[in-house]
Amino acid sequence: MRKTYIFGSLILFSIFLSVLTEQGCKNKTTTTTAAADFQFKEKLSDYGFFKGKLTNLKPDSGIIHYELTTPLFTDYAVKDRFIVLPKGAKIKYTEDGALDFPDSTIIVKNFAYTNVAHEKIMIETRLLVKDPKDKNWKVMNYLWNKEQTDALKHITGAKVPITLLDDQGKKYFTNYQVPNTNDCKRCHIKDGVLTPIGPKARNLNFNIPGQKENQLSQWAAHKQLTGLPELSKVHQLPVWTDTKNFSLDQRARAYLDINCAHCHTKGGDAYNTGLFLDYTEQNPDHLGLKKAPVSAGGGAGGLDYDIIPGNADQSILYYRMNSTEPGTAMPELARTLTHKEGVRLIRDWINSLPKTK
Amino acid sequence: MKQSIRAVLLLLLASGVWASCTQKAGPQNQYKTMLTFNPGEEAKIEEAFLSLKDSTSIMLKAGNYKFDNLSIAQVNHILIQGEGHDKTILDFSSQSQGGEGIRVTDVKGFTIEAMTIKDSKGDLLKINKSRDVTVNNLHAVWSKADSTSGGYAIYPVMCKNVLIQNCYTEGSSDAGIYVGQTDSAIVRKCKAAKNVAGCEIENTSNAQVYDNEFYNNTAGFLIFDLPDLSKRGGHVKVYNNYIHDNNFRNFAKSGSFGTTWGVGNASPGSGIIILAASDIEIYNNKIINNNTSSITIASGFAVDEKAGEKINANYSPIPKNVNIHDNTIEMGPEFPKPAYEHRIGQLLVATEAKLNELDPARKNKRIPLIMYDGITSNILTKGTALNPDSICIKQPGDNVFVNADFLNIANAAKWKPNTNFSPFQCK
Repeated sequence: MRKTYIFGSLILFSIFLSVLTEQGCKNKTTTTTAAADFQFKEKLSDYGFFKGKLTNLKPDSGIIHYELTTPLFTDYAVKDRFIVLPKGAKIKYTEDGALDFPDSTIIVKNFAYTNVAHEKIMIETRLLVKDPKDKNWKVMNYLWNKEQTDALKHITGAKVPITLLDDQGKKYFTNYQVPNTNDCKRCHIKDGVLTPIGPKARNLNFNIPGQKENQLSQWAAHKQLTGLPELSKVHQLPVWTDTKNFSLDQRARAYLDINCAHCHTKGGDAYNTGLFLDYTEQNPDHLGLKKAPVSAGGGAGGLDYDIIPGNADQSILYYRMNSTEPGTAMPELARTLTHKEGVRLIRDWINSLPKTK
Repeated sequence: MKQSIRAVLLLLLASGVWASCTQKAGPQNQYKTMLTFNPGEEAKIEEAFLSLKDSTSIMLKAGNYKFDNLSIAQVNHILIQGEGHDKTILDFSSQSQGGEGIRVTDVKGFTIEAMTIKDSKGDLLKINKSRDVTVNNLHAVWSKADSTSGGYAIYPVMCKNVLIQNCYTEGSSDAGIYVGQTDSAIVRKCKAAKNVAGCEIENTSNAQVYDNEFYNNTAGFLIFDLPDLSKRGGHVKVYNNYIHDNNFRNFAKSGSFGTTWGVGNASPGSGIIILAASDIEIYNNKIINNNTSSITIASGFAVDEKAGEKINANYSPIPKNVNIHDNTIEMGPEFPKPAYEHRIGQLLVATEAKLNELDPARKNKRIPLIMYDGITSNILTKGTALNPDSICIKQPGDNVFVNADFLNIANAAKWKPNTNFSPFQCK
């Protein structure tokens, strides 16, 4: 009798326990999901980044407009970049990689094109947000409406038919590719972590044309950036168009860094290729010099090496940057036109490299 | 008594916690969110792929779907399922950007099964930096087998724990099934035809390849190690496969002559090629009518004279510990025509001619079944051993093996391919 009682209550107790622990497990999962769930607003205007007419992109006070020494090419798009810091929060200087942004920072990048009437027409606005709950960066895209009054949250990407003028005023028709949110992640993920690509100290370390003071120094003066060392100690990514101050080699390597190395780096999306195009990469094999491709397949165009010094026409790197064919074109995403000026730089650079045996 | 009750209590408590929490993780086929779509709902499907939450299954009901491309990134425990390879068809012929039809990045626990994917411009299915990946009953095909086809049909790379089974690939201008820079992979019960390479295991360690049929490709099956990559391959077992009639022209982009890298190097008529890979066991396979070379063992030097400069922890150009035994191997009476047009094919044609010239007693026999390029670690150590790299072969017959002496192939007077099998016979 007593034994039955003991076993009975034991069973009851254990059921109670399992229910309890079940609950415990459930709770745990729901709380973590909720914490990771940062909510993006529906419209760009909802954030209140800009004063007056939205298309003017006139930043509200405290919002930093910034530029890069050498930018990524995106179909001759006109880009405006902003950093929105939470009130009173500061960016911490880091020597390598993206600057250390405070929680809740929003990085805003607007993409527009110049139409045949020389008007600036808005296409899309990309947001990177550092979620305060889990310290992870999150991506979202906003697609501008036809009326150009606002941009709406848009995750699936889009093809926008446009007729644009390039930097020389030459006319092109193309289907501009707005990336979907996974496309965003592909370029922004390094070692499994989503990070900003552009705002590294070395990419920001210059005087924006027309300004007297260095961009980083201005931020430090406005107490938006802390820990900035003497400028002479801050690395600088060369300005790819500045032929006066930088050599062909420096400019080409800067261009490859900003256009390719977000994927072509250890831990990046193209880690598997062994082709690493960071500005600081010194290993000639990883830089592609007489390097056979790994998995380029037909994308290599039947050529043998990534780069043949002195021979751009036989170099896969040049071939793929000069193509707009899916499966061949590099970068793979967000480019439907060839960047003539950039490709010319890379061609000249490859042709300038000393021929080896 | 009290003590035993306490012990029972503890045990029950422990088992209660264990049971309730492990059930949450659950067996593979349980997903928190289950979505179902029909043909015509492509826009919704694309959106669903982009909004995936952890632990979601997506069922694509029977019918034809048209996509530009699809992608999944940074989410865990995902199942993409059709109603069968002959029922659910995903057509990527309108791909307008990106490198592939379906791209999976950084996913733990990914399964795709029971559908056909076809005709992308780039690769069909690329799975990058993921783990616990299953590709099951997937047909990945290009309608046309020529250089306009994408490179790889099923392409897991930099993954951990990959299972590819019951799949079929056709038309890849590189490799049908391509497992790259991965640790722990199984390819079984798959078929591959009319690709340049049927299946390729590259810089992948701890792989097992069995019960497959690779036929009518340029080359049936490849195990490659390449330099400058994230990891070294090796420890590959290959058994119970039927690798036959791989005599197709090499239609990799450069045309029939072949590039100096990757599958461009594969001569039409190749059954199995081992390049620079070590710790390989190949046994109990049927390797029939691959009419240029049934099994080729080659060093990185055969394709890259600078291979020696690239030696590091992730790369060694000399294949070591290759064990080939108890296979059924037969070759047809002559080289396939496309071999005569291929760079490496021409070397093999020349090897057969040279052997027969050096030894009239051969009476114009075919090139032996197994071709070893003969570039051993002796060139690095200045050693003289006949078989320093533990190549071990146990196959019946009298025309089994040739050391093709590739080191001297450019010098007709010095070049002496030879069929001295005894140093390479398993002891």
